[in-house]
Formats: sequence, structure tokens, C-alpha cells
Amino acid sequence: MRWRIVGLETHDAYFNMAIDEVLLERVSEKLSPPTIRFYRWSPSAVSIGRFQSMEEEVNVERCRETGVDYVRRITGGGAVYHDNGGEITYSLVAPEAEFPSGIGESYKDICRSIISGLALLGIKTEFMPVNDIVANGKKISGNAQTRRKGVLLQHGTILYSLDIKRMFSLLNVSKEKISDKMIKNVEERVTSVSAFGNFSLNDLYGALLEGFTEGREYDFGMWSREEIEAAEKLRIGVYGTRKWNFSR
Amino acid sequence: MECHSKYKVPGGKLIEIRLVHKNGTIESLEIIGDFFLLPEEKLGLIERSVEGFKIDADEKDIASNIAEVVSKEKIEMVGIDPASIAKAVKMAVNS
Repeated sequence: MRWRIVGLETHDAYFNMAIDEVLLERVSEKLSPPTIRFYRWSPSAVSIGRFQSMEEEVNVERCRETGVDYVRRITGGGAVYHDNGGEITYSLVAPEAEFPSGIGESYKDICRSIISGLALLGIKTEFMPVNDIVANGKKISGNAQTRRKGVLLQHGTILYSLDIKRMFSLLNVSKEKISDKMIKNVEERVTSVSAFGNFSLNDLYGALLEGFTEGREYDFGMWSREEIEAAEKLRIGVYGTRKWNFSR
Repeated sequence: MECHSKYKVPGGKLIEIRLVHKNGTIESLEIIGDFFLLPEEKLGLIERSVEGFKIDADEKDIASNIAEVVSKEKIEMVGIDPASIAKAVKMAVNS
């Protein structure tokens, strides 16, 4: 199988989620090749899991005030703050037959690429079921997966730097809980690439690119006009709508 | 009457239940949380399978009804299971 790699690019939350769904559909119809993409979020955004409640998870008012997008993902899992300069996100879309059939095993299989990539920076990490990667026992990457019509989509983030205060200001954590103790607690559970050395975001991207292409046949590619048009339609018609984002 | 519960499955994900019951019968139910469930659009079938139960129904009966839907509809869940959903439902009606 030959992959298309779409190199690091930046979009808003609604396009980022729309193009993933477009890929799911089009790969199942063999209209698009199996694809791995790397991206950032501009503006910064909060994404919530498919079954979460936007109003419960996200401080929507604060997001609006500070120009942070908020979007419901197609995948399950928890709320994630995607800082514009603080992480790299990837999506991988391919026929599910290419991966182990069990959800747990397929997470592990795909996360191996991230683990290999981070190892190139000298960061030793391991897979932590169900869907995390940890370094020194602290979470450095969260991942989420769905399958549709025989096609698997896995997307996830790799933390480059952490701004816990900002993250808490955008998520609905009660004021009492945003105490020094809780921040310390999160610092004990979450880490980022920057904690391991003086790496640039581009260093992280290069490492992830190596990790994800290792052992795979691939070409670098761009979006087709049809993919962009379909994504724009979903961006406006679904992911940018209150109906989708506040459906729970 | 509206009820609500939050239940963190040990070693799993969070389940939040919002339900409405009237005259002792569960009328509507919404399951919220950070779990994974495939295919996603079938969560509604699980929610519907709990509606109609009496609020004093046995937790095991609720769980087995959910398990039947899960099996029939080939639903995969990660971080939750029929028993934990049933437990969260009972926590909500008893809240």
C-alpha cells in the first residue's frame, strides 16, 4: 500500500475536523489514497469527544473572548486544548484491514510510529492503553480512533509545550480546582517534548515524519480540489454549526 | 423528574447520565462522556433500550437489555460496558 503524506499545515478547527471526515469517506470509496497528515490549529482550539457536552466541558464564553475555536470531534475521547504553538496533531486514514482488528491493538500499532519518532529526539516513551503515550509515566500524546465503512481514522496530538493555566481557563474546571495543587497535579501527570530538551516545533515535526514513514511506501501530496470542496462543505455545514457542536 | 449521575468506570472512562422519569418510568435518557463507542451513531439505540424501564428495575436487567443491543448491533465500546452504563443509570435514579 502506498501512502500519501500531507506535510505540516495549519487550519482552523472546523476545517481540520472536516478534512478528516472527507478522508474517511473518500478512502472508503477509493477516491483518495490512504493518507497521513500533520497539522496545527489556528486559531488555537478546544476539541471535545463525540459524546461529551460542549457546555459542560468548555468555557465557551472564555473561548469567544480570547478567539479560541471549539469543535466536536467525530471521534470519542475527552476534551483537548490544541494550542497553536504547543502541539502537533496527526491524522491517519486507511483501510482497517491494514491494522490489527482489535481497537486496543490497532491503537498500539499506530502509536508505534509516534514512539519511534520521539525516540529520534532521545525521548523514550511507551504506549499506555487505551489510547495514550507516556514518557516517564506522564502523558505526552493522546489519540482517538473511529472506523467507518471499512476505513480507520486515528488522530492524535503530541504535546510540544504546556500552558496549564491557559488550558484550565478554557476548559470548565471549577475555580476552586484551579489551585496550585491541581496545576502541580497535572504537571505530575502530563509532559511535553520541550521538557526533554531544547527542541523546535520543526524538530518534533521532522521526528514524527520519520516515525510515521518508517517502513511505509509513500509520496508527499496535497489535497485535491474535490477534497477541499468537500471539506469546505462539511466545515460550513457541520463542524462550524451550533447544531453539531452543542448536540450534547 | 430530571436526574443526573457521573460515574468513572474503574480503569475506564467517565459515564454521565441525564434522564427524565415520570410515574416511575424512565422516559428519556442521554449518555455523555469521554468513552469510545463504534459505530458512534448507535449510541442512541443503547439510550432507547433503557427508556421504558421502571426506575426500580434491577440493575442486572438494564445491563442485559443493553448487552443485547450491543451484541445485536455489533457495537464496540472502549472504557465502558453494559454493566457500567446500568450502574450509572441506577445512580441517577437514586440521586
